[in-house]
Parts: sequence; C-alpha cells; structure tokens
Amino acid sequence: MSEHEHKSTGEVHRELHSHLPPEPGLRVKAMESLLIEKGMLDPDTVDAWVETYTDKIGPKCGARIVARAWADADFKARLLENATEVVKDLDEAGWAVAHLKVIENTPGIHNLVVCTLCSCYPHAILGPPPNWYKMAAYRSRAVRDPRGVLKEFGVDLPETIDLRVWDSTSELRYLVLPERPAGTQDWNEERLASIVTRNSMIGTDRDLSSNGGSA
Amino acid sequence: MDGIHDLGGRQGFGHVDVDEEEVPFHSDWEARAFAIVRAMSRAPDWTLDKFRFTREQIDPADYLIRPYYDQWIQCYAAMMAGSGIASIEELASGHARSGQADLGEPRGPDSVIAEKEKAASFDRPYEGNLKFEVGDRVSASTHGHGGHTRLPSYARGRSGSVSFVRGAFIFPDDSARGIERAEPLYTVAFRADDLWPGEGCTHIVHLDLWESYLEPA
Repeated sequence: MSEHEHKSTGEVHRELHSHLPPEPGLRVKAMESLLIEKGMLDPDTVDAWVETYTDKIGPKCGARIVARAWADADFKARLLENATEVVKDLDEAGWAVAHLKVIENTPGIHNLVVCTLCSCYPHAILGPPPNWYKMAAYRSRAVRDPRGVLKEFGVDLPETIDLRVWDSTSELRYLVLPERPAGTQDWNEERLASIVTRNSMIGTDRDLSSNGGSA
Repeated sequence: MDGIHDLGGRQGFGHVDVDEEEVPFHSDWEARAFAIVRAMSRAPDWTLDKFRFTREQIDPADYLIRPYYDQWIQCYAAMMAGSGIASIEELASGHARSGQADLGEPRGPDSVIAEKEKAASFDRPYEGNLKFEVGDRVSASTHGHGGHTRLPSYARGRSGSVSFVRGAFIFPDDSARGIERAEPLYTVAFRADDLWPGEGCTHIVHLDLWESYLEPA
C-alpha cells in the first residue's frame, strides 16, 4: 500500500501545499496530465463537462422552472410536493437533482439558502454557485445575520415578513420559488423566465421587476 | 471535526462580495478544475462525504484563502495520495512514475449525458422505527467528534422542532469512513433567538439533521 498510509490527511495536505505548483492554473494542469497518464481521465470528457456547464446548465434552467410554476398552478403544486419527480419529467437534460426541495416565497415569507459546512447548491439547475456563496462571509452570516446579508444584496426585508433560512446540511437541495411580480398576468413563460434572477432562486434577491422582460 | 469549515455564526468575515460578475466560471482553470473532477475515475471508497472530510482537513489558513476549485484539486490529490494511486512527487510533477491506476477505462464524453440524466440518490430503504415525528421538540447533541459530521457547531445543545421527516439517508459520519448505513433524516426548525440569544434575531433556521444527532427535548 501507499507510503502515505500512515500519514494523516492533514499532513498530506501540508506536503501537497509545499510541493505542488503555487499557481492554481499550474496545479490544475499538473493534475490533468497526471490523471491522463494514470488512465483515469479522458480529456474529451473534460471538454464536454466544460461545455455543458458553460453553455447548457445554469440559472436559465431554474428560471424556466420558476416561470412554469407561475404560469401553471397544477405544475406549481406538484413542484412544491415533489420537485425531484417533476424536474425529472422535464424534457431538458441536466435537471437531474436527486433530492430537490422547492420552497415558496409569499407576501409574508422569505426564504434564504446557505450551506454553512461546505457549499451545497443545486448545481444541476443553477449551474456552479457564485463565489460569494462559497466564501466565509456569506456562510458565516447567512444563518446569524440574514437580514444584514440581505441588505447588502439590496433587499431591505421588513420585520413583518417571516425569514426562513435553510442550511443545506444534507443531500437535500433547496431552490427558492420567488413571488411572481404584479403586472405580468399576460406574459408567456419565456418572458416570465427572463426576469427570474439567479439570486432570487437562492433567496438573496426578492422583488423581481415587471419592467421589461423579453419574449 | 471542530474545523475551520464549520462557519455558521462565526464573526469577523466582513461583507459579502455582492458585485461579483455573474458568470459560471471566473477563469479557464476554474472551468477545467470543475470539469476534471466531474470526469475523472474514482476509487470505490471516494464517497462525497470522504471528499468533504478531506476538504475539512486542509490547513485552516489555506482553507480560508485558497480558491474553491483549487481546493477541489488539492482534495483529489490528497485522496489519490491517501489511496496509494499517486505519490506526492507524481502529483507535484504532473507525470506518472509508477504504473496506471487500476480503475478501469476512463469515462468517455457520453458519460456527461448519462450523469446529467441520472443524479446519485442518497436515500435508502429503512426497516427501523422513526424516533420522531413532525412537531416533536428535539435537542441537538451537545458534542461533536473528530471525524466528519453534518451537525454544525452552532446548533449543538440547542432545541428546535421537527418540521419535516425526510426518510432515511446515508449517514455522513459513517460514509466518510467508508461505511454505508442509512439513518432517518429530519428537517428541524430552530428559532435564531435560541441559537444566538439576546441579539434580537427573529428568523428561523432550518437544518437537516440525522436521527443520532438528536434527542427528545
């Protein structure tokens, strides 16, 4: 077995820290070439994942789900009841999230999602999380000072609105269903989807604008 | 473990960078690192929880400043070293000096479609009785342990009420050690005023907690 078997993971980390190239780009290159030589990686598969997460999977997928929920009451009821099954049935590939929970904002309730222990996030629906979602400031404060965090995002939440924070400590993935803005009754799903922001599905945005929107 | 990763409720980290540009990746190496991790072969015991525990053991100062996807690469490097797949020297040079890893053929581009359509499930059948039901008052364990756990320190010893019974899920504390065992999972609502008394908090914090983290309150 490995010469490192007796070493703690912490020790291995410290050795890697002192021996690997300092620049992230070089470390990634070294890892890719080693994995290819070890027979553990096909570079074409890496290209395919980059393309998928650059062009296909991202907040627009989530926005289409939100827009459909706004436009179709039956879809919304099923989504809130069992989002995993509903999303599985959508014809867009890339929406597979095994344990998805959709939580609904209402005039009296606001929801905010965080992962204080790592960075759990519904990747397959929203794409890679923003950096701030993964950084200490958000992770530490979202549970303790969520109104302060929201203010920084420009959301001044009145005390009369109940604030519910969801710390993603398990494999359940939370997606916020924002409120449909007034003045959008006649809009089709495509136009509705165009005003749904990424942050509104995390909960760091609340009042979506009915100004504009593109069909 | 009582590590630097357990950030909920810690103070002194300043403002959130709300002006960050909204793009999937901020540099080419980030995209590459993300995709390498998705595409690479894995040893059978590399569970998600083992990965998380590996990340928790990054040097604390490094944990706070090293870019996120760079930490992913560092964790897989540490797991490769720990599993005897590659030496530190190989990981540093990017070239294999010993033989290939015996993990089968690398995954081809078609695996992207297959993985997009079929996400990994973490729930499991469970024969035992559920200890709690919706509405029950529960207290979170007062202590942690040196391994991987998903009970954040800010909830330890605090009481809340069960708001959802989620079914049985793979227990992370064991999964990080290579043991797959399912346990009931509950979403528990804590009043923030109980978590941080005297600060005027009015919100609710929901946590997903496994049964053995909890006792009747």
